[in-house]
Amino acid sequence: MVASDGQRVAAALSDGNVPADDRQRGQHAGGLPADSLQQAGGFLRAVRQWWPYYAMMAPGLLFFFIWHYVPIWEAKMAFEQVRIIPPNIWVGLKNFQQLFSSPIFYQVLANTLIISGMKILFVFPVPIMVALLLNEVRNGKLRGVIQSAIYLPHFLSWVVIAGVFIALLSPTDGAVNQVQQAMGFGTTNYLTNTGTIRWVLVISEIWRSAGWDSLLYLAAIFAIDPALYEAAEMDGASRWQKIWHVTIPGIIPTIATLFILNMGMFLSADLNQVINFQNDVNASVIDILDTYVYRMGLSTGEYALATAAGLFKAVIGMILVVTSHLVSKRLTGKGVW
Amino acid sequence: MASQSRRTPLERVEYVLIVSTLLLLVLFTLQPLLNLLALSFTDPSKVPGFSGLSIIPDGVSIDVWALLLQHPNVQRGLFNSIWMTATSVCIGVFGTALMAWGMSRPGLPGRRLIFILVLVTIVFEPGIIPDYFLMKRLGLLNTPWSVIMYKAISAWYLIILIRFFEEIPKELLEAAELDGANPFQTFWMVVLPLAKPALATIALFYLVLHWNEFFRSMIYLNDQSKWPLQVVLRQFVIEGDKIAIVGANNANNNIGLAQINIRALKAGMIFITILPILAIYPLILKFFTKGTMSGALKG
Repeated sequence: MVASDGQRVAAALSDGNVPADDRQRGQHAGGLPADSLQQAGGFLRAVRQWWPYYAMMAPGLLFFFIWHYVPIWEAKMAFEQVRIIPPNIWVGLKNFQQLFSSPIFYQVLANTLIISGMKILFVFPVPIMVALLLNEVRNGKLRGVIQSAIYLPHFLSWVVIAGVFIALLSPTDGAVNQVQQAMGFGTTNYLTNTGTIRWVLVISEIWRSAGWDSLLYLAAIFAIDPALYEAAEMDGASRWQKIWHVTIPGIIPTIATLFILNMGMFLSADLNQVINFQNDVNASVIDILDTYVYRMGLSTGEYALATAAGLFKAVIGMILVVTSHLVSKRLTGKGVW
Repeated sequence: MASQSRRTPLERVEYVLIVSTLLLLVLFTLQPLLNLLALSFTDPSKVPGFSGLSIIPDGVSIDVWALLLQHPNVQRGLFNSIWMTATSVCIGVFGTALMAWGMSRPGLPGRRLIFILVLVTIVFEPGIIPDYFLMKRLGLLNTPWSVIMYKAISAWYLIILIRFFEEIPKELLEAAELDGANPFQTFWMVVLPLAKPALATIALFYLVLHWNEFFRSMIYLNDQSKWPLQVVLRQFVIEGDKIAIVGANNANNNIGLAQINIRALKAGMIFITILPILAIYPLILKFFTKGTMSGALKG
């Protein structure tokens, strides 16, 4: 649901190992013997041999340094009092104290956890069911048509998706309210109702990802040994018995990996989505950590406080991702990277 | 698999139920989009009564599309989106490929350290405020380069390419070295041609990522003239800033664009924004689907 494409494919490809130098050393195509690096003058020789590769990597390395490591340095602002005329003053944990003593922060944290929890409960299982259903469609052409249709929303931006849902849920001429009215239920403005807006987030996430996210499960299903199905058929297993005893056990590792991956993203709750559904009326129930940071920092100008909140999220998020990676590797052999 | 003839009536009913459920999902996915598409082509006089359920235009007219495509804000947004996305994709594909090539070489001194430093960036993101101040410090605020450079190289796509380059048979590389090719030539003449499918996939990843980018543009770019289409769309449809598209003069005097129903204008804007995605959608299906499937099969 919140995993990016790259992340999903990388997770699928990964054997979960950071390359170990000792394992691969000496395998370089036509290069120097492995021991040369340890010999006297090895450094110079290494430079002579490898400089073209470093030269090619230089733009990328520079990019990662500037765009990912300098911001870590900038984040020290969380421990400072920001002044209009530099330099800023070091205040230690004062910003965090202020943050943790503000009721809004806890409201925002609760919203984030509730929205993430709702998505895990109600969005996560949908693509699994879609994959199981798709697998039962024996007509390849029909399946292809269905797949082409349901993958599409994944490639639309949240601005577009929110625009589509605003039209869909419009109280005057949206499809949902028209059906509701025809059935005699009256109209509901789902986008300004604090009781329904979180469900709008859930449903729009399902709209966006139910199809595309089923692809990984479908791939896992196709990788199941056909002999297992044949054996089940010999035993007279029905369709549901085959799903229950062969298909589902076969995709449990994939389910586990993606579940843990999503747990690692628990504090994110998807800024890009929420910011496009937020309005003055519903803000109290879908204000999440990221929108709070955005508002405090870039609208209100409370830079230090916003940075502190962002850093809080970054640290807890890091702990969650690393823990989920380790758990996933232990349980399923596949990690996040 | 069981042949049709051996199916019991119950199984046939099951099959119909399964296909119907999936077709309902297709309907749920496509109806809202088709409704907006139909709305954007509906005769302007019939737009007010146009049902949210219909997917067929009520009297065909291209007024909405013509007016929007002639609109300076839309044209500028399209232009900005196209050139910013194109630049980002080029930088992204080349930067990622060059770095991945180096990092895929076994024995490269420091390889493990670089790998870990890249992984750290995936795990630890200090947030939007430090990013914002970095842009400010670099003097990139309110320039398109802040948006172009910010996600120029994705750690995930880098990892994908590293895995791909690691699979290149080393005999091919040895042969190139024996022919006297230096590492740059090997990269250009052996590695890149071999990696074409992988590079195409990465390029599509980047293209979708950058085309759909709106948040960084929204916070980094103050000048409306620099906005990509997504931000123009957001201002109009999400923030409901009617004047942005209709124009103050038109709105006050109820002339020009103000005479077109706002619903139809919004629908048209949404479709102009997703048109490029629709145009490359067949390619996306081909490359993304294959990439994800083969990746999972391998793992």
